[in-house]
Amino acid sequence: MKEKSQILGNHAETMSEEQLVKFSSTVSPSTTKSYEEMGKELKDRIVKLLGRSLAIREVDAGSCNGCEIEIAALTNSIYDVERFGIHFVSSPRHADLLLVTGPASRNMEAALRRTYDATPGPKIVIAVGACALDGGIFGDTYATTAGIDKVVPVDVYIPGCPPRPELLVQGLLLAVNRLKR
Amino acid sequence: MKESGLGNYVEEIKTKFSNKIKKFDYNHNEVHFHIRDPNDIREICGHIHLDMEARLATIIGTDERNNGGGFVIRYVFEKTGEDVFMFVIVSLGNANSFPSIVSCVPAASLYEREIRDMLGLLPVGNPDTRPLVLHEHWPQGVYPLRKEFDIKTKVARKEGQYEFVRVEGDGICEIPVGPVHAGIIEPGHFRFSVLGENIINLETRLFYAHKGVEKLAESMAPEGVVSLAERISGDESVANSTAYCQAVEKLLQVQVPDRAKKIRTVFAELERIYNHIGTLGGMATDAGFAFGAARLNILKERMMRLNETLCGSRILFGVNRIGGVRCEVERENQKLILEKTGETLRDFDRMAAFLKSKASLIDRLRDTGKISKKAARDLGIVGVAARCVGIDVDTRRDHPYASYAIHNGRTPQQAMQDQIEMEKRAGDAMSRFEVRIKEVRDSFDIIKNSLDLESDGLYAEIPEAMEPFKSALGYAESHRGQTLHWVMTGENNSIFRYKVRTASFCNWPIMEFAVSSDIVPDFPLVNKSFDLSYSGNDL
Ligand code: SF4
Repeated sequence: MKEKSQILGNHAETMSEEQLVKFSSTVSPSTTKSYEEMGKELKDRIVKLLGRSLAIREVDAGSCNGCEIEIAALTNSIYDVERFGIHFVSSPRHADLLLVTGPASRNMEAALRRTYDATPGPKIVIAVGACALDGGIFGDTYATTAGIDKVVPVDVYIPGCPPRPELLVQGLLLAVNRLKR
Repeated sequence: MKESGLGNYVEEIKTKFSNKIKKFDYNHNEVHFHIRDPNDIREICGHIHLDMEARLATIIGTDERNNGGGFVIRYVFEKTGEDVFMFVIVSLGNANSFPSIVSCVPAASLYEREIRDMLGLLPVGNPDTRPLVLHEHWPQGVYPLRKEFDIKTKVARKEGQYEFVRVEGDGICEIPVGPVHAGIIEPGHFRFSVLGENIINLETRLFYAHKGVEKLAESMAPEGVVSLAERISGDESVANSTAYCQAVEKLLQVQVPDRAKKIRTVFAELERIYNHIGTLGGMATDAGFAFGAARLNILKERMMRLNETLCGSRILFGVNRIGGVRCEVERENQKLILEKTGETLRDFDRMAAFLKSKASLIDRLRDTGKISKKAARDLGIVGVAARCVGIDVDTRRDHPYASYAIHNGRTPQQAMQDQIEMEKRAGDAMSRFEVRIKEVRDSFDIIKNSLDLESDGLYAEIPEAMEPFKSALGYAESHRGQTLHWVMTGENNSIFRYKVRTASFCNWPIMEFAVSSDIVPDFPLVNKSFDLSYSGNDL
């Protein structure tokens, strides 16, 4: 559990600000796989399990937009996740998976819940970034809910502030692998 | 400082309102006028804004009841081209209302609504009585910035409905969009009233990303707030943390080493470059020109990788600290910066020329999302959005910070050329496109000229104890425009009040004007051309 929690899986401890600052630079994927290898594996899984593509809806539940920058980077021509069969769709009604960022601000709580409800099952939810895990630096206050899983059920947690694109793909792989079960 | 700009303003205001001003004092480039009676603020603010042509920079509300000051409101004005901030300060005592100044300073409206939500002080005379920050599901009587409010309080949700402006008539429909959008962007709600494809009215509703940043800072150690400032808007991390650090440095009277100042400048410009390139790419996407977008996003990625090599974060977190910077730029990294930025600039220039030659793209940008100079002035907008319509404001020049003073030398001829160029700018998406291209190039120049780093160290020691109830204003020019951070210290080295006003807060209102002669499918392009932050607005 401990090793897992460092990269993916339940975010056990609350990170201090010091850690938060370091996090983006010191976290390194636990696997020895390269980005391309993970991408290939992801593609195989997606083809096998879903037929063609994995449709993702990104939901910003009050992030600082740092996580959005990295998620958007997945679609640039260097990371180019589209070639692994990953497609960002514009409606939750077309989505298999929700990528959710932010500490779930209270003003986004209802919208997040509605987005979740509008996503057809079976669905996966990934919480992206330190904020989404437990509120991160924004913590548990009047204005936040202290983590996406306080609002909707979460399957996979990707820490980092923000997580690097490689880590996002690693998280997607873990999530897709879960789908089988 | 006192002899030059400040003195004249003090004289002018003092002679005109001598019996209404209790006292005045200076704080570096700030001059504070303490007003006797709240009922005079409209007249005084009106004079400063309309007759002296000063821009409303921000309005700060504080709860100083525990230390005998009552509720205090500070109106901050700034005069373009002069390094002066004028504070009109008034204490309301225990009263929970104050006269609105909207009738003479239209830009005040949002600030007043914010103060009403966060501090429970009613702006009497502000025609818009709807909630702003705390949406309709917040119960009455919750005022997060009052001192007795505990940040951990969980308030119950209540049912409620927000009243949008209704446009009625034959064939008029409403299109609600958001807060969850179609792209990978931040949350906000847009309510269009349309006739066919034409936008008759747009109403923006924001603050979905409100995370309680200002209140949170009051419970954090001043050094910790640097990380918080970086996360006000992830893509503006250097600008916001610089502004925050400068506010604290100013109130502690700390001299930042020259090396640190230059490093701040270098990172601030790296931030501008990757974001401007990204926005240009986004505009190409929204205009349906995928090839251009793909090429520009490669350049953005390259710059982000350079960021990571330099400071460990792709979006430049962790660069600043109070008193200087954390991040050293060694000789080999200086070389790397020159080499990589040189390469990127070459490709960028080629790409910019290519994009400008594509009639299909230019056609989409020209005359789209046009704003007028008058609206821009009235709303007090800043940054690229102001410069695209010929309003020449730039905090880097107007209030030199970090090491920008050394880049400000312009010959009279250059100044005139700049002014002619400014006058030509039309305020449409095309002009914002061009302004960004120009600024990317300027940023490369500034970086190149900043790399002769002094060797006097990365940061200055900061005094251990901070004197309570001192305040100072810090500022920086992010890629969006001016960001202002006002800090007031509390007892035991705490922060009593942290007020942030980013460029996005100033600029969002212009969006509703910008689309008024456009069609719905142009909205994403217009929105992207302003490139505003939701998180930076909502805090
Ligand atoms: S995890 Fe970090 S980068 Fe992501 S939204 Fe939160 S503060 Fe921003």
